[in-house]
Amino acid sequence: MTPDNGRVLEASNLRKVFGDLVAVEDVSFHIGEGETYGLLGPNGAGKTTTISMVIGLLERDGGEVVVAGNPVTTKSTTAKAAIGYVPQDIAIYPDLTARENLSFFGHLYGMGGSDLKRRIDELLEVIGLADRADDRSEEFSGGMKRRLNIGIGLLHGPRLLMLDEPTVGVDPQSRNAILESVERLSGEGMAVLYTTHYMEEAERLCDRVGIIDEGQIKAEGTRAELVSLVGQRDKVSLVTADHAQEVAEALASHPDVVEVSGNESGIDLLVSGAAAALPALLQLAAGAGASVTSVEVVEPNLEAVFLHLTGKALRD
Amino acid sequence: MRKILAIGRVNTVRFLREKSNIFFVFVFPMMIVLLTGIAFGSGFDAKVGVHVAGDEGPLATQFVTALDDLADISVIRYDDPDRMLDAVQRGYTDGGVTLPEGYDEALVSGGTAQVEFVSRPDQGALLVRELVLEVVTDQARPVTAGRFVEGTGAGSLDEASAFAAAVPETVTVKSRSAGDSLFEEFVDLGQFDLGASQQLVLFMFLISLAGSAELIQTRKLGVARRMLSTPTSSRTILLGETAGRYGVALTQGLYIMIGTLLIFQVDWGDPIGAIAIVLVFGLVGTGAAMLMGSLFSNDQQAGGLGVLIGLGLAAIGGAMAPIEIFPETMQTIAKFTPHYWAIDGFAELVRRDGTMVDILPNLGVLAGFAAVLLTVASWRLQKVLTR
Amino acid sequence: MRAAALIMLKDLRQRVRDRSIFLWGIIAPLGLAAIFSLVLGGITDTQNLDISYGVVDEDGGAQAALFIEEVLEPLNDEGLFTIEPMGSEAEADQRTGDGEVEATFLLPAGFSDAVGAGQPASILVIGNVDSPTFSQVARSIAGQYAGQVNTINASLFTYLALSGEAPDPATLEPLVGEVLAVTPPLTLVDSEAASKQLSAATFYSAAMAILFLFLTVQFGVLGLLEERQNETMRRLLAAPISRRSIIFGKALTSFVIGLASMAILVIGTTLLLGAEWGDPLGVAILVLAGVIAAMGIMFVVTAFAKTPEQAGNLQSIIAFVLAMLGGAFFPVAAEGILGRLSLLTPHAWFLRGLGDLATGSGVEGAFPAALYVALFGIVTGGIAQFRIGRVVRP
Repeated sequence: MTPDNGRVLEASNLRKVFGDLVAVEDVSFHIGEGETYGLLGPNGAGKTTTISMVIGLLERDGGEVVVAGNPVTTKSTTAKAAIGYVPQDIAIYPDLTARENLSFFGHLYGMGGSDLKRRIDELLEVIGLADRADDRSEEFSGGMKRRLNIGIGLLHGPRLLMLDEPTVGVDPQSRNAILESVERLSGEGMAVLYTTHYMEEAERLCDRVGIIDEGQIKAEGTRAELVSLVGQRDKVSLVTADHAQEVAEALASHPDVVEVSGNESGIDLLVSGAAAALPALLQLAAGAGASVTSVEVVEPNLEAVFLHLTGKALRD
Repeated sequence: MRKILAIGRVNTVRFLREKSNIFFVFVFPMMIVLLTGIAFGSGFDAKVGVHVAGDEGPLATQFVTALDDLADISVIRYDDPDRMLDAVQRGYTDGGVTLPEGYDEALVSGGTAQVEFVSRPDQGALLVRELVLEVVTDQARPVTAGRFVEGTGAGSLDEASAFAAAVPETVTVKSRSAGDSLFEEFVDLGQFDLGASQQLVLFMFLISLAGSAELIQTRKLGVARRMLSTPTSSRTILLGETAGRYGVALTQGLYIMIGTLLIFQVDWGDPIGAIAIVLVFGLVGTGAAMLMGSLFSNDQQAGGLGVLIGLGLAAIGGAMAPIEIFPETMQTIAKFTPHYWAIDGFAELVRRDGTMVDILPNLGVLAGFAAVLLTVASWRLQKVLTR
Repeated sequence: MRAAALIMLKDLRQRVRDRSIFLWGIIAPLGLAAIFSLVLGGITDTQNLDISYGVVDEDGGAQAALFIEEVLEPLNDEGLFTIEPMGSEAEADQRTGDGEVEATFLLPAGFSDAVGAGQPASILVIGNVDSPTFSQVARSIAGQYAGQVNTINASLFTYLALSGEAPDPATLEPLVGEVLAVTPPLTLVDSEAASKQLSAATFYSAAMAILFLFLTVQFGVLGLLEERQNETMRRLLAAPISRRSIIFGKALTSFVIGLASMAILVIGTTLLLGAEWGDPLGVAILVLAGVIAAMGIMFVVTAFAKTPEQAGNLQSIIAFVLAMLGGAFFPVAAEGILGRLSLLTPHAWFLRGLGDLATGSGVEGAFPAALYVALFGIVTGGIAQFRIGRVVRP
């Protein structure tokens, strides 16, 4: 046992090679208690490979993983017991009931007896399957299967929860429920590793995000830290009733305005530090004789960061 | 009509694309025809093993030849007496004869030789013993005569034995047969002929039943629903599925027919009649497959039952052993299987040189089987497909 | 070990729920064994034949009586066959032709006189056309009698020819006694070999059991590929259990299913079909060896296949081909290339092992065969272990 130092997961310099293809190269990150860490990247970026090494599914070609103070290898059972894993695809036995699925995996994690029974009942309530507990899971709707899929990962009360793209192909309502439960678990002190290619989810859930592409972490930090990489260039959209041409010319004179472009209903500006410049900008617009009917300020997002770092869009 | 054929073709192709189906349709039947031909094609002769201990002299060879010359017995020589014994014990042969070491020497020099006959304690083996006993008696005759004459002083042993061997037999056994032979028909059959028609019937039906798994999968995968969502009537889909199954059955039947014709030169008799049986029997298999596909929703269960029904009916219907040697009650029961009527039809064509007209009753019964099965199956399927 | 047991219990629950296993493991083999032994059993059984021969005595003389009383009746009394006296050749033709008797011996009028005078005479054997072997047996029985008479005649004829004596009944009569007194140069001694043939019910029960065993073991080991296909393998790998315990759990499932279905089949066929499997411990050892062999093949197939469907198909192909070569469908020659191929299969040895037990031997009878069968499984399973690791990964 190495000292815990508050970090539930410590992964350093992970490397995985499949034949000629370097799937993951020099990936390092750590997650503390109650922290949610997002791995954001497009399909094929190396998210699942990374996760598979972190939980000891795959042999590593290099690097170290320590979970709750225990090193993780494909053979280590102590470390694995501290991890709850939710695979990307629904991984349940369709011919077993929800309760039987939970019970089987509970036993594999060393649980048993009345303890396990109570925990299963609790969990069935949490994932909203209490009234369908004894139905075969093949009869479930897609959303119910998803919930069971996640429930199995939570059953043994892991210190680290790994969710691999849990919302792919999920309807908006179930998706929201999943995000809410992750927020709640994190609030209860669970460390969460969350992979996704949805920018909004990473922004909403994650305390820190690692942007991964082509097997490498391109940047890592809080949302604000990442966004600062693109600089504080906010997008300001003004909607004016008239005099659009004049307004545009007037605004372009402001030193903080980097770029001006017109659209059919108004004007888009790229501004360094919109918060500070906004009063002056509105004044300039009024001076040009226009009446501004609406103003919208959009701060830069992870999408923009990804674009900035890799030169390509997050979604295919 | 074009839609029906489209669905049918997709189904046939899907079935034949599966590698294991290719094996069971194209390779396995030929292996069975070959092996059964080797196992049974040489007829049902009694088999006797012979082991000559030590050096084999001319008298020993004469003994073996005499045994081999008996009608309806085939002699298998063994160098290793243990193997001969093992073959007897396991029923590969009906008995084993050992000529002792120094057999020739003993007979020429006035000694005695003990020929050993080893057999299982069953009646068939004891009957075979009588054949050996006859050869022993015959082989001993000139020697006995020689020794007798030598004893009287009328001549030497060699001289008398040689003379006695040339004395014609006064008492002989004549034989003729009685009754109308069932087997006479088999005698003219090629080594693989009987097996080929049996296997054709067995496999056409068995493979058809295996095709029911696909129908179940089609239902499970929701392909049927998708087809129903296109402007295609459930009747068309049903006919298409039927055509698919039928395509598989015909592929199997015609393949075995043509394949055995080319590889083993199997005689199928009147080609029109033979093809007619395949066409109608294929419908029976198709009907059975459709019915099974409608009754089960688990293709593995259907598979297990398919093997049971496919092999079971084949055994009862005479596709594993010629119906003619069945006990009478079993012969009657056999008539309730479609297999019987198909095999009997082939027998009519091949062994009795029948033509289309002679097998009309067979075709009629088979058509009846097909009609009943297809009707029940489509009634069931109409219900489950749209459920 | 706990994890392996858990996986096995989970698998068993799934299999029982699916119910296919009952069809493949019990109903199909039991049903086929019943049908085969009912339909084909009567044909292949040579243990208790009901053989009868007719005899027509148109002669009524001493020699005919001698043949009937000294040759046929003893065999009748031994129970080898039954003798049916018949009145005329027409009756003989009809009853033989109908198959009521296998063959009929006809001693024609004047037979005894001719034999007594050393004149040509013959016994007619009328054989049923479809009983060639038993007709030949009849010919041989008559032939033995003829051979004895011919021996006397040939001896006397040779004596007369070589000595130059004139044939005189008075001098020849005592010589007949001398001929008969010559020590027979050839004698037939019998030895009985314990039969290793299985009764039809036993054979088909055993043959179907071993055929289907190779199919039912799929329901365990092949599950490794199924778990991979439906992604639950990732969960098993992520759980705090060793990879070996996953493989072991699946092997355990195969083992339990194979053993249970075999046990049910042995007991079921004994009770329902009257199969005689032999010494229980010996049978248990053979069955155990059979399960190991089936699992060995299943492991190889699983280790090399890509999908569970592919593995299942491959296993069925192997199961049917091995069963066919091993003589589970029809007897395959013991000699030649085919015989050698046959003896490579565990099926052939499983059936041979039961044959060895059929001699009434105790448990030791099972050993030579059981060792080969088990070895087959250990070797194939051992080969598979080098590759099975590729299945137990995400």
